[in-house]
Amino acid sequence: MELLDAHLVPAVDGVAFGLLLFVVAAGLSLAFGTAGVLNLSHGTLYAIGAYTGAELSDGTWGGLALGLAAGTAAACVAGAGLSAATAPLARRGHLAQALLTFGLALIGGDLLIQFFGADELPVRVPEVLDSSVTLLGHRYPAYRLCFIVMAVLLAAFGTWVLTRTRMGAAVRAAADDPQMLAATGHSPRAVHTGVLAAAGALAGAAGVLGAPIIGPGPGTSENVLMLSLVVVVLGGLRSLWATFAAAVAVGEVQTLGVSVAPELAPYLLFAAMAAVLVLRSRFAEPAGAGHGSAASGPDPVARLRGRLAGLKRSSVWRDRLPRRNRAPAWLARLPGRAAWWRAAPLLVLLGVLIALPALLDAYSISLAGSALALGLLAVSVTVLTGYAGLPTLGQTAPFAVGAYATANLADAGWTMGPVQIVLSALAAAVFAAVVGPAVIRARGTTVLMITLAIGELTGAVVNQLKSVTGGADGLVGFPATQALWGGEGMLEESELYNYVLVVAVVAVALTLLVLRSPAGKLLTGTRGAEARMRASGHPVGRYLLVAHICAGALAGVGGSLMVTVQQYLSPADVGFEIAAFALLAVVIGGTTSVIGALLGAGLIVATRDWVAGSWPGHGPLLLGVLFVATVYVLPRGLAGLRGGGSGGGGQGGPPSDPTGSPGAPGAPGTSDTPRAEDQPPSAPAPTPAGKASP
Amino acid sequence: MLELTGLTAGYHGGTVLHGLDLSVPAGTVHAVVGHNGAGKTTLVHTVAGLMRPSAGTVRLDGRDVTGQPAHRTARAGIGLVPQGRRVFAGLTVDEHLRLSYRPPRRGDTTRPSVWTPARVLELLPRLGERRGNRGADLSGGEQQMLALARALLGSPRVLLLDEPTEGLAPVLVRQIDALVTTLAAEGIAVLLVSPSPAQAVACARTLTVLTSGRMTLRLAGDDARADATELHAALELTATGA
Amino acid sequence: MTPTPAPTTTPPPVLALDRLTRRYGTLTAVDDVSLRLPAGARHAVIGPNGAGKTTLLNLIAGTDRPDHGTIALDGADITRKPTAKRSRLGIARSFQQPSVIAELSVLDNVVLAGWPHHPQRRGAWRRPSRHRLLKESAGRHLETVGLADLAQRPAATLSHGQRRMLDLAAALAGDPRLLLLDEPAAGLTDGDIGRLLGIIGALPSSVAVVLVEHHVEVVAELATSVTVLAAGKVLVDGPTQEVLAHPEVREAYHGTAPSTGPDDARAEAVPTACPFPTDARG
Repeated sequence: MELLDAHLVPAVDGVAFGLLLFVVAAGLSLAFGTAGVLNLSHGTLYAIGAYTGAELSDGTWGGLALGLAAGTAAACVAGAGLSAATAPLARRGHLAQALLTFGLALIGGDLLIQFFGADELPVRVPEVLDSSVTLLGHRYPAYRLCFIVMAVLLAAFGTWVLTRTRMGAAVRAAADDPQMLAATGHSPRAVHTGVLAAAGALAGAAGVLGAPIIGPGPGTSENVLMLSLVVVVLGGLRSLWATFAAAVAVGEVQTLGVSVAPELAPYLLFAAMAAVLVLRSRFAEPAGAGHGSAASGPDPVARLRGRLAGLKRSSVWRDRLPRRNRAPAWLARLPGRAAWWRAAPLLVLLGVLIALPALLDAYSISLAGSALALGLLAVSVTVLTGYAGLPTLGQTAPFAVGAYATANLADAGWTMGPVQIVLSALAAAVFAAVVGPAVIRARGTTVLMITLAIGELTGAVVNQLKSVTGGADGLVGFPATQALWGGEGMLEESELYNYVLVVAVVAVALTLLVLRSPAGKLLTGTRGAEARMRASGHPVGRYLLVAHICAGALAGVGGSLMVTVQQYLSPADVGFEIAAFALLAVVIGGTTSVIGALLGAGLIVATRDWVAGSWPGHGPLLLGVLFVATVYVLPRGLAGLRGGGSGGGGQGGPPSDPTGSPGAPGAPGTSDTPRAEDQPPSAPAPTPAGKASP
Repeated sequence: MLELTGLTAGYHGGTVLHGLDLSVPAGTVHAVVGHNGAGKTTLVHTVAGLMRPSAGTVRLDGRDVTGQPAHRTARAGIGLVPQGRRVFAGLTVDEHLRLSYRPPRRGDTTRPSVWTPARVLELLPRLGERRGNRGADLSGGEQQMLALARALLGSPRVLLLDEPTEGLAPVLVRQIDALVTTLAAEGIAVLLVSPSPAQAVACARTLTVLTSGRMTLRLAGDDARADATELHAALELTATGA
Repeated sequence: MTPTPAPTTTPPPVLALDRLTRRYGTLTAVDDVSLRLPAGARHAVIGPNGAGKTTLLNLIAGTDRPDHGTIALDGADITRKPTAKRSRLGIARSFQQPSVIAELSVLDNVVLAGWPHHPQRRGAWRRPSRHRLLKESAGRHLETVGLADLAQRPAATLSHGQRRMLDLAAALAGDPRLLLLDEPAAGLTDGDIGRLLGIIGALPSSVAVVLVEHHVEVVAELATSVTVLAAGKVLVDGPTQEVLAHPEVREAYHGTAPSTGPDDARAEAVPTACPFPTDARG
């Protein structure tokens, strides 16, 4: 009883927090489940509502009502705009959407700060609510109780619409079978737009009402997005009630958990998410394997894999080139003309990289060094995303292991570069081997979420384990790395840069050799037709684990270089933002292109730190513009530039060829047809009875 | 009246359906028979607007609806009963009926007959007993009835039936045959697609045999009923081939 | 339950299914199915769509696991073995929707499929000489299915029929003891079906074949024994001609259409099936 008494306030807080998350996450879940939009700018919609509400709040009921109306309307319009923005991407999979919505979130965040300032806005609730009431002997803010009531009403209204109205039936039908919805005369596109607008309105309303709980500030969007992603993942996409339970659970972890077990609280959330996902993908394993070529499967994850496969194009025309030397494929390949053409971008890049120190000032050289380190991280993401088919947001974890290993080695006096590199790679590989089994069973967006959890958990460890990582302060002041045995520690930027360049070239060359050997085809086969590979006797799981370990080692090398070039290390260097940038660099590069990933990473670092140097404070805005522009201008990423140049991209490409440029044949309502088209006419549609879950 | 001229469609850049000409006058049943993979479902999907033809036209009472998205062809009066039923697993029968009910626009007197949920339930009384059940919980036969009800509630001029008896017990097959005939009697043009000739022979005024996406035989239903040898020869040939 | 008489020397059957059951929620897709196939058997599984044919194939191949019952290959229980392991033990399959790796060349598709079964597979990913051996044997399989001319084309550019043939080549590359074919003739042209019949007919007699097929004529041509599934249960099984002539099979599988003698049954079936005037407006 005493325990209950002590924790009553946080427990009630948890309910309020959970309800807030439910309203936000329900929109995210709807958008994903029904409209197939992975909306990484959902947190921004909340922030729009929160800022508007805070700005219009003046301590009166009228201010609250006006704020509610304006905030909801603004976010609703933003949601509808999002629907229009994502419409041209309908055939391009979730990674393109992630790139777009993440870019929009960055732009939106920057604009909100321009408009409302960088400080947290105070919220003035009506005076009646701005007091405390007595709750079982505790003082409790009246507004929160009031909020609980309003959130319950909002949730009930949403549930009623979804489950009791014709409109709600159309939404659920669209999630189930958009083609058949169209066949009953309803436009799936209109339903999608409606869903995204409604999701925006929900987020906006939650923002206005929740502003006194999660206030509007620079970190709001990311915080809200993360928490609602966790809720959606925990709740699954099937039922509102599961989402509700997950939201309240997350709310309690964030409030009650912190008050009961403060030391565990940072881990609880993402550990729970990882556990649920891993168990779920394990449980579903035999059926998942039975899906066969997942490209035409009905679930979004399988669709993503299919589309991912479609994102890969350059190798198609590569294989169409006349075969050169057939024999000694991998080491002693005599470069023919085609091979030179193929290697040309790489060689040009190498030349530019070698010449850089002569061209740039010290700061820029050091930036270029960081870009190379991040480039290695991006290459490791390419190996997983583009080759193994495991889109990852968690490569910052082995990256962090490598980075902290190097920093600690240096601190302990082990300053020889090669030793640092090898030991960091080893540590990262061991880490990847340990977490690998949790990753390789899952596919598609589930992998994104599991790896996100791994990355966040690693981040939490970094923050907690102060003796090794220095906690939030980070590590600084360790001895500089020696390039060669016995040499002096490197201090000059150009020295450091050359060291980083040599290591990066070796690492990238090794990666390319392996990926272009038949081993790369084993991975391509696994991603392209996993069922066929299994049925042909390939131990697919083992391949993926090996790929995961190698990618981990590569990320570890990147981390080591990052420390060497920066001479300090903070948790932000291995945080979610870096993970997202690495993945987006890969998408910008064209998903399966190693050189594309390197260029993508370079582009991101240059935009964020170099271009933004002349317009301080607007790095995120510029990055956002870069992401959004890439999505529309380069549908195949940087690698598509070369494919287009050779004129080989067009004829007879795969059906899932991601040529979905804006306004392409994907007219309203037919945007979902390719899935059915991929099925030969003889394929019986799954009998709905088969979908019935126990 | 549904009219297809030179209809050509396919996937993966490959053509599945080659220049098919076909017409279904109002109030009649036109059956398309062919083996799996002959292009039957491609035909149905193309007419319904779920696929875009690469050539040819689809006309509905003289109006060109070629390549229109599915919801527009549906509103124009083409009802689809898809292969595999594809009822909405999570929606109750009642919700199916409410969602699909689309009365014709005021003044639109060209519809052969107007269907309301009440009238559909009169025709398919079994659905009335299962109004609260979700699509996934229905039996195969009930799902087929529901798919038919869903198509009828748009008061269609043309009804596309894609293997409506697939996986159903013989008793239900005969029931579906009878329904098809009843609906044609209402003035609806029915395009029936089926792998087995039995149903086609039973109900159709005209039969088309489709082989590898091309028409290989067309004959009147009465002739087929009198003597099915020709029909069977056309189908046999396609199976063992060469 | 033995469609073919057991050989007198009684070696263990290549494939023995014992009371196999698989449920999805309330739906029982495969219901208490038993089957024994001797080496070299040519066995067909037929039945209406949704009868559980593909599920049965998936259970044998290991992509799906039974709720009850056991599967034995050459007398050894493989019920719990993963798909890849079963493949290495000699079970190969084709897919209902041909499963090809669109990004890779036609040849590479078959190279990958044959890789785990080739005697020279060790280190083939880094030893060009061994990899060349894999390519050579893959080339032979492509010749068998008639795709040798397209070996260097990306698989993405193949037509549906060609994909099906490539899928078949991939299955053959597994050097199987037991070959599972899931509707191999669906969507094929007449010429391709002829070729398919030739390929399967020419398989060595040590290979047992399980064929799921809708084309009764293909079944009649290839299979010596047939199992008819309906709603997951074995309706009839036995020698092909007997099964195809079985009245219950005609009823369940064809509605009313017979597979061989078209005239007699049809004549009486038609009038009862269509009680309404067929031309209502006329």
